Amino acid sequence: MNAPNRYELYVLEEGERPVEVTEDTKIPNAATIKIVKQDHTLANLLRSQLLGMPNVLFAGYKVPHPLHPYFLLKIQTDGSVTPAAVLEKACTDLITTLATLESKFKREFTMNTVEGGVQEDAYGVPTSGAQWESGGTYVDLG
Amino acid sequence: MQTSGTSEPIVRIRDLKKNSVNFVLQNVDLAFANSFRRVMIADIPTVAIDMVEIETNTTVLPDEFIAHRLGMIPLVSTACDEAMRYTRDCTCEVRCQYCAIELHLNIACHEAGRTMDVTSNMLDVVPTSKPGAYGNFEQDDGGEELAKRVENFGHPVGKGDPDVPPILICKIRKGQELKVRCIAKKGLAKEHAKWSPCAAVSFEYDPHNKLRHTSYWYEYDARAEWPLSENAKEEEPPRDDLPFDYNAKPNKFYMEVETDGSLGAQEVVQKGLQELQTKLANLIVGLKPEPPEADVFQGGGGGALGGQPNGHEPAQTGGWGAPSPATSWSPTRAGGGGGGGWSPTRAGGAPTGAGGWGSPGTGGGWGAPAGGAGGSTAGSWGSPSSGQGWGSPSQQQNGWNVG
Repeated sequence: MNAPNRYELYVLEEGERPVEVTEDTKIPNAATIKIVKQDHTLANLLRSQLLGMPNVLFAGYKVPHPLHPYFLLKIQTDGSVTPAAVLEKACTDLITTLATLESKFKREFTMNTVEGGVQEDAYGVPTSGAQWESGGTYVDLG
Repeated sequence: MQTSGTSEPIVRIRDLKKNSVNFVLQNVDLAFANSFRRVMIADIPTVAIDMVEIETNTTVLPDEFIAHRLGMIPLVSTACDEAMRYTRDCTCEVRCQYCAIELHLNIACHEAGRTMDVTSNMLDVVPTSKPGAYGNFEQDDGGEELAKRVENFGHPVGKGDPDVPPILICKIRKGQELKVRCIAKKGLAKEHAKWSPCAAVSFEYDPHNKLRHTSYWYEYDARAEWPLSENAKEEEPPRDDLPFDYNAKPNKFYMEVETDGSLGAQEVVQKGLQELQTKLANLIVGLKPEPPEADVFQGGGGGALGGQPNGHEPAQTGGWGAPSPATSWSPTRAGGGGGGGWSPTRAGGAPTGAGGWGSPGTGGGWGAPAGGAGGSTAGSWGSPSSGQGWGSPSQQQNGWNVG
């Protein structure tokens, strides 16, 4: 009855900011970044990308509650860049990697076009003719 | 670990069919491959039946049962992101031809002594009717969506193709009848798994278990009792005298993406990569101090028309002409609900459950800085006592990955 709409798990509300950066007051060059309406898909990807960067001392994330659609990403850098800047760098690097992968996939797909000659059923077995017309080969337990 | 710039990802397609693709992904890290897998399963929009108006149901199955089965039928969703709108983003009041697809099913059995199959092939796409009044839409906001649709957009997958077995909805005997009107909507598998374009996505790495990410249960000899997967042929078997390399990282991923037919395998892979890029691009935009109209870039496309009724609201259902007393709406994703009006129950039907979306490798708490130089307590935030919370600042450097 009063359940929130399910799409609120992934659609930003009106005027809602997608990202919120909070500088850490006790740890130098550290920040906690709250990213709303995103889940492990993005969080774990960023975490691992950040850990591979030389000026990142720490990167980790948590989803504080599985029903709350946001995660917190904690980053500490060595001081040469701010955590927000290093996160942005991580994003651009990942986009570059993804774009490369996308073009490589595109090339692979053009090289392996689906053969049109052999028709296959759902189990990859070549079939021919209309065997599903009426009732077909269902096992009728009735 | 993927060090940016030094190595490019490599992909090799081993097998490509219309609805499945098998490939090997190399030079990426585990998190990257896993995010790619997750995005293909849960973040690509498709069309699925979302509301069912049951006019007559004298079959042996209850209304909810049939509504649920109808919801699970894959519908052709090619280029869904451009060819259709989300109802919540649409300019219409309840639904229109841009954000809804109407399908009718009207079947009765008159043959004695024979069981008749009601299948997905009997679902007919009809022009979306205007709720509340008769006839079609007068208003046309000139959306380009309709021009981008393929001919059989919204039709049940395999309809009209004799080589594809139809999906059985129900069986009827003489005198039984099923007459329903279905409204299909665009949606995401994060909302309900029926919107996932993927049937199965297999994901394997390290078939010889060199990295010891798993341990095998065995009675006498793990090697004899655990057969190697086909993918093991792609990699050198480890030598027995080799010491365990605890710094090694998985690098080669064997994936097979199988779709339910609503989208082709190629489209799923490409849309998945695009969606990941969109997510990251939105994050970059969000990091800028005051983004001008950041929600324009939103993946879900939400925001702009937030005030629109989304069509799920029971209050918005004033339409549908004058329903006959027998008419009842059952949401296709609910387990419960009764006849006589809307059953707003939405719980219960979702196969994914509230626990959320299968956590990635390092799920639960904080993602561990895996294998980092410093982290003896990797996985927590450096608090040696427990893996929960943030660890106090004084202790925090213990666990930091200083690499």
